[in-house]
Parts: sequence; C-alpha cells; structure tokens
Amino acid sequence: MSQTAATKNQIRQDNPVLQMIGKGLLYIVLIAVALFTLIPFVWMISSSLKLDREVFAYPMKWIPETFHWENYVLIWQKVPMLTYFKNTAFIAIVVTCLQTLTSSFAAYAFAKLNFKGRDTLFLCYIATIAVPWQAYMLPQFIMMRSMGLYDTLWAMVVLQAFSAFGVFLMRQFYQGVPTELCEAARIDGLSEYGIWARIMLPLSKAAIATLVIFTFVGTWNDYMGPMIYLTRDVNKTIQVGLRRFIQENSSDYHLIMAASLVSLLPVSIVFLCLQKYFIEGIATSGLKG
Amino acid sequence: MKKMLTLALALVLALAMVGACAEDKQVLTVVTWDATTTPYLLAQEAAFEEKYPDIDLQYIDVASQDYAIKVGTMLSGGDTSDVVMIKEARDIINWQAAGYAAPLSDYMAADAFDVSGYVGTEVNYAVDGVQYALPFRSDFWVLFYNKDLFDAAGVAYPTNDMTWDEYAELAKTMTSDGVYGTHYHTWLSAVANWAVCDGVNTLADREYSDLAYFYNLYQDLEDAGACMAYSELKASGLHYSAAFANGNVAMMPMGYWYVSTLIGYNKEGTCNFNWGITAVPHAEGVAAGSSFGNLTGVMINEKSANKDLAWKYVSWLCSEEGALTTASTGSRPAWVSEAVAAQMASVEGFPTDEASTGALIPSYVGMEWPVVDKLSEIQTIVNEEHSLIMTRELDVEEGIEEMNERVAELFE
Amino acid sequence: MVQTASKKAKRPMSRLERKNTLIAYSFLAPNFLGFAIFTLVPVVCSVLLSFVEWNGGAISNMKWVGLQNYASIFKIDKVAEKLMQGDFFYFFERVDLGIALKNTIFYTVVTVPLTLICAVALAIALNKAVKGAVGFRAVFFFPYVASMVAICVCWNFMLMKDGPVNQLIQAFGIPFNKSWTADSTMAIWAIILVSVWRNMGYYMVIYLAALQGVPRELYEAATVDGANKWQQFANITIPQLRPTTFFASIMMIISCFKIFDVVAIMTEGGPGRATKMLVYYIYDVAFMQNKYGLASAISMVLLTIVLIITVIQFRSEKKFAND
Repeated sequence: MSQTAATKNQIRQDNPVLQMIGKGLLYIVLIAVALFTLIPFVWMISSSLKLDREVFAYPMKWIPETFHWENYVLIWQKVPMLTYFKNTAFIAIVVTCLQTLTSSFAAYAFAKLNFKGRDTLFLCYIATIAVPWQAYMLPQFIMMRSMGLYDTLWAMVVLQAFSAFGVFLMRQFYQGVPTELCEAARIDGLSEYGIWARIMLPLSKAAIATLVIFTFVGTWNDYMGPMIYLTRDVNKTIQVGLRRFIQENSSDYHLIMAASLVSLLPVSIVFLCLQKYFIEGIATSGLKG
Repeated sequence: MKKMLTLALALVLALAMVGACAEDKQVLTVVTWDATTTPYLLAQEAAFEEKYPDIDLQYIDVASQDYAIKVGTMLSGGDTSDVVMIKEARDIINWQAAGYAAPLSDYMAADAFDVSGYVGTEVNYAVDGVQYALPFRSDFWVLFYNKDLFDAAGVAYPTNDMTWDEYAELAKTMTSDGVYGTHYHTWLSAVANWAVCDGVNTLADREYSDLAYFYNLYQDLEDAGACMAYSELKASGLHYSAAFANGNVAMMPMGYWYVSTLIGYNKEGTCNFNWGITAVPHAEGVAAGSSFGNLTGVMINEKSANKDLAWKYVSWLCSEEGALTTASTGSRPAWVSEAVAAQMASVEGFPTDEASTGALIPSYVGMEWPVVDKLSEIQTIVNEEHSLIMTRELDVEEGIEEMNERVAELFE
Repeated sequence: MVQTASKKAKRPMSRLERKNTLIAYSFLAPNFLGFAIFTLVPVVCSVLLSFVEWNGGAISNMKWVGLQNYASIFKIDKVAEKLMQGDFFYFFERVDLGIALKNTIFYTVVTVPLTLICAVALAIALNKAVKGAVGFRAVFFFPYVASMVAICVCWNFMLMKDGPVNQLIQAFGIPFNKSWTADSTMAIWAIILVSVWRNMGYYMVIYLAALQGVPRELYEAATVDGANKWQQFANITIPQLRPTTFFASIMMIISCFKIFDVVAIMTEGGPGRATKMLVYYIYDVAFMQNKYGLASAISMVLLTIVLIITVIQFRSEKKFAND
C-alpha cells in the first residue's frame, strides 16, 4: 500500500529517530501479543504428536519424545472425517452465501430507508440475539422436526442463514456510508435496488468480507446446533465428529488436537483470501466525487 | 462397453436384492452412546441378531457427554426410536415424568418375566410400583491395583477385606519417588460416595456428616503425596484411564466398567503391566465386600411404533442370556448369578487370582445416587460443595455444613 | 427530528410513503421470513414458556403458573425474609440466580472493555502499512478460528499450578502458585483471560473493516489544520468508528452475558459456584432438571438486562446521529 500524501507529510514533520523508536516499540508489542496468541497453538501441535497418556504427563513437555505423525492418519481412519468435512463445508458455504445476501439486503432497509416500525423491528432483531439458545432450543426443535428437517443438513442451513447478527453487522457498516451519497443517487434517478447494488455493495466490500469470515467461521465451529440436529453419521459435522474422540471411558486428546488443527486449515484459508479487502476497502472514496 | 453395462446391471440387481433383504427384516432402533467402540454393545448386537435373524438392530449413536440433553430433546420432539438406553439415574426420573417411557409391567406380567437376578436393583427404575425400565448393566466399585508395582516394592497385595485406614496405610507405603500409592478421580463418587456402602446412608438423605471421614482420609493422603492433587487433576483434565494405565499408580478405586477398558489396553499394548482387583475397603463396622454402584438400563419409547418388538429386545437384553453376552466382554450385567460370575471371571485378560474372582460378588451394593425427588438439584449442590472441599476453599466441616444447609433449603 | 417523526406517524401515509414502506419491506423480506420462522417464533415461545411449568413432554403437560417461575428463581420469600432481618446480600451470596448474575456481570464488566481496547489497538496498529501486517492479522484472528474443546483443554493446561502462565507471573515476582481454575478467585479470571484471548482478534477484524470506511480526506484536512495524531484519533477516528463501536459493544455485552462454552469445558461453574454463569445455570435447569419453564424465566432475566443496556445505547446512538 502506498502511503497517502498526508501520512508522508507527517513523517517528514516528525523526528526520524523518534519514528524509528516508535516503530520498534510497535513491533515489540505486536510480537509479544502474537507470542501470547500463539503459545497455546504450539502446545496443541506438540500434543497432537504425542500419545494420549503423554498429553497430560506432568511436568509438561513441549517437545514430544517421539513424534507420532501417524495421529494425523489415524483421525481419518478412526472416524469418517472426510464425510464430516464435506458436510461442514456444505453447510458453511450455503449459510455464508444466504446470510451475506439476505442480511446485506435487509440491513440496507434498516440503515437507509424510512419506514414505519423500523426501530421496533430492529430492536426485535437484537432482542433475539440476547435470548440464549438453550432457552428456545426446545420449541425450535419441535418445530423443525414437524417440518421434517431433523437430521438433515438443511436444518443447519435454515437455522444459521437468517441470523440477526448479519443484519446488525451490515446495518452498522451502512450507517457509516454518508447518506448524501444515497440522496445524490436518488436524484440521479437510481432505484433503491440500484443504490444497494451500485453504491452500497461496492462500498462495503470490507464489511462483506467481515461478514463472510464470521459466518463461515461461526458455522464451521458450531457445536451445539449440529449436536442436537444431526444424528446419523453421514450428516455429522467436524465439531461433532471431534467429540467422538472423547468417550465415556476414554479420551483421545492427542487425536482431538490433531483433528482440530486440521479443521483449522480451511477456515484460515478463507481468512487469508479475504483479508486483502481490509486494505483496499473504500479508503479514499467518500464524499469527494 | 458391453461388459461395463452388464457389470452395472449386475450391480443394480445385487443392490436391489440387498435392499429387498433389508426390507424383509424388521428394524429396531436403539438410542445409545459410543456405539461403535463399546465392546458390550457390539457383542449384544451380534448375539441378538443371531438369535433373531429377522430383526435388524440399529444403534443411534449419541455423544456420551451430551447424552441427556440430546436424547431429552429428541424425545421431546416426538422421536420414534424404539428403545432408549438410560445412562444416569436422573435420566429415567426426567423421562418418566415427561411421559417418554412406556410402562413395562404389562409385558412383564404377560411373559412372567423373572426379575430375581437383579437382587432388588430394578426398583430404582420403578415409579409408584410401575416398572418403566429394566437394568442391563450394574457397575459397582472395586479397587484396581498394579501387581507389578507391589511386586517391585515387595509389599503384599491388597485384599478383599481391608478397612479404609489399612488401605490408607498401604497407599502411603506404596508411595515412593514417581509412584503414587493411590489415585482418586475428581468425581464425588471416587472420593466420598463410600458413605453409602453401609446400607443406611444415601446421598439424598439431607445429612452429609457421614462424608467427613472420607474427605479427611483423602486430604490426609493428598498431603502425604500419596495421590495426585485434585486441583491439578481438575485443571489438566487427566482421565483416570490414562492415569492408571501410565503404570505409576499402585491402586485406584474405580467402577467395574474399567475392567473391560484395561483388558482392551492390555490387548492393544497401551499398557503391559499385571493388574488385579479387590473389593473396595470398608469402614469399621461395615461388612467387607460392601460397595456402591450405578445402573445402566433400557426403556421402551412411548412413541415407538413397534413396542412388542422393542420388548423382545429389552427382555432378551435384561435376561440371564443377555447378561451372559454382556459379561463376555468384561462388563458387569445387572443380572447376577453364578453362571454370570463364572462368565465374567473367564473373560480373556481378566486377572486369574483368587482375590480378583472373589471381588466379583460384592456383599452389598448401595446406589451411588438414589432415585428421589429433586435428585438433579441435590446432585448440583453436593457436587459444587464437593469441589470447594477438594480445592480446600472450604474446610471439610464447613463444606458439609453447606451441603446440609443448601439441600435443606431445597425442601423448604 | 423526533418531533417531525411523531407528527408523520399521526397522519395517514401518503402514497409515496406507502411505496417507500413497500420497498423497505421487499428489502427485509428474504431475511425476515427466515428469521421470523426459525428464530422469532421459537423465541416468543420461550417467552411464553417462562409462565408455564413444563418438563418437555407433551404440550398437554404444560401448566400455567403465572409469575411463580420468577418468584422461585428469585427466591422471593426467602430473600424478603432475609432483607427484613437486615441481610442485604443474601440474594447475591446464596441464591443461585443472584450468584450467577453477580458472576456474569463481573465477567462482562471486565471482559468487554479489555477486549474492546485490545481490539481497537490491534486494528489501528495493523491498519497502517506495517510490515507483516497480513501475518499478524491472521495470527491474532487464529484463536477465534480454533475449536473450543481444544482451546479450553489447552488453556487449562497453560494455567496449571506449574504451567507456563504461572511461571511467567512468578518471573515478575508475583508469588502465585495455584491452578487458576481450581481457585475461587482466579477461576473467573481464567475465563476472562481465555475470552479476551479468543475474541480480541474477532473484534479487531470488525474494526479493521470499519477503519476502511473512514475517509482519508478527513485526516488530510486535519493535517492541514495542524492537528496532531492524538487529536486526529480523538476527533476523527473515534467518532467515525461510532457505529462500529455501538455494534461491537452490544454484541460483546450480549455474548458475554451468554458465556457458556468456556465455563462448561474449563470450570463447569466451579469451584463451588465461583464461575456459575447465567447460561450455565439455564443449561443445568433446563437439561439436567428438565424444568423448561424455569429455564425460560432465567433467560428472560438475561433478556431484560441486555435489552435495557441496548435501548440505552440505541438512544445515545440516535442522539449522536441526529446531532
């Protein structure tokens, strides 16, 4: 990214030595925080290469005595991990698409249109986020079952695709877009749909990227929902599958670590692919034009 | 190309025939946990299908740690699975109250079903004199010990007739560098449930002072370094199966179910030392061989469309015949008889010494948790105070005082 | 502004307004339909459930009990009796709901600002052209991506008596030598620590996205006016991030009030009731005791608190937007 004129200006004004010290400090802090973030993962990697009874051996060893790479093979053999991956990917992709589309649509109405009952409806959305799932799970389950959705992947899709969260997130981002832009477009004769498609969407790339990441990660890592709604092995997701390594009379924490590290990969790829939008964004657009 | 077509056709035909066969069979669905790895479930399925070739037994596998919530939800939604296994005492209390369990008394009367082998334990599954479930497993607690460690230390093995004080002495004797004399899992049942072995006390009698002796005994052992500290175990989440299998623990009181786990470990080579079992120690004035345990049972789903078929399975599983199958995998069936005990002792990998076989027949088995009103609330309270005593946030006396007070409040 | 709105509401809708309302509804429909069926209806059911006694069985088992569920979770009689005796803290010291509320509120009050500050700081640091920003962002987001079971098991180990965290603390001369999760005072801090660790990257991403929306021109103009960096931060960045902060703080407050996973896996509410949180309590009442009416009543307490906070924030946001 090229620095804008303003920041260049700033650098010229500031003392270069101070600049250097500031940068150095920034890096030291960033690296320290990064270490704090990563240490548990190091432990996970190390545990994933141990035998089960070594995982909890005390005092802890960071480097396993012998590296049990076969754990990464075992997880595919002990449980149908591939099926779990496919199911999870299916749910995550469909949910993400639906969620992004419908919530950016609805959020536009909440942020930029005036209509009766807007605030009440919006509060309704937020209120449902505040009710813990455990409280309404049973009525929801009874309803879903009567619709014939129990033990189908579609149950997870419809449960997660219309969450209030996405609408809320997108609404807040749209609020940041100057209303003058919409007004100008309306005067130019663009319909509301046109404004949404031609102005809002392109301006909210970063927000959409955020929503995609969050929805994808959220669906990917959801445990309680699939645990309740999916029963047959062919329908289970990774998070449910992971718990199969914890059984009543034994637990294979080394395999859990290995499997959760593997399940981390797809989500990380999604994140890495999308994060470029945090740099490009709408940066210098805005009111000038 | 032609070959391919013929092959495809043959395949379709074969599939159709398999499909037709499957359709001929009656399908019986049983909700359970860890279905793919639990030896007794696999053995029961095989034996049952061998006896009834026209029935296809299908397990619905539910994660064990979320069994109550998932199965409760399924049943509330009107699930039509035929048979549901009961994991804990509160499951049958909750499910019977909600009307999910079909009464079995009529079936039992019609078949003149024999319950003598349960030695009275089946009353835990009866409500107002009506039987809603039958037990097929009854695990009581025994003392596991590592023979190799005792041999190495030149100390005599524990016996079937030991008091708790003698056991504590033994644990301290066996403790040395890197070896723990005994191991307590973090559960209340592993530490203080022993109070119910006297046949008088229960964990729901609203009076918990009888637990004090066992908490003091534990704290004494922990202070002496004869067992791993509770707070470390809790934080690390170390599983008891791994703790004993590591080979540096001389003794461990644990449920009988661990026998089949250990036999499996020996076969796989996860651990390769010799081990044995004895009866758990007893308090002064309580008969040797007294223990406590819990039941695992089956109920027929009220919403099942084939209850008669379900009863066929339930009555087989809970009978002596089913018990022998269960026992053949190293698990302890609810039905006790000499034949069953012999079967248990003859399981490959079961220790052959006399004391171990002698431990198979306890003199008394109390219930870990009795089936009473507000059981779940009581459990929550007692377990919360248990954790405070174990982390020494509270003195033993204070903790027990809290238990008494809070449980009493429940019934105000 | 507010006045004109209320005036508008009083007279019948003009055709233009009606058309606008229709357009608005067409935007809302795809999401709202799914939302209404799969979330709103069950939520409304659970509101109703809080007034009945129900053990999950047939609907005919339900018994209307009015406010009795509320009376029993608040232990009204006992609390009133103790109040008369001058024991003002009985509710928060002895009653399950009071303890759960106290723990949850404490947890929320500490976690929300901590996470927010960390998230904003990281986002601002990484919004600049820092070398390796891509890598850093990914690293900070990582904790959010990892599976909860693995994470909690892992942190339990990190926070053990002789674990790495205690070693670090001792290196700074603080003589703490206990497992965090086995200590009544530290257990809740363990949960706070894991929550901040896990969520700071999440909110960092939201702020990163929001920072993209701040028009550069504003900074340029400020620089021309001679504003220093701190002034720019206080007068441009913070106000411009306002909608995002509104979102982030509400979401965080709600998710803190709903904390469950970490508690369930790391401490199970213990030791004692030291980390018993509202949703963990709800879970216990609903699924262990099979008292769905009671569980719904507790949820309503949670809902009420969160709604009050949200409405206050909503008001101040509107006020700000109108200023």
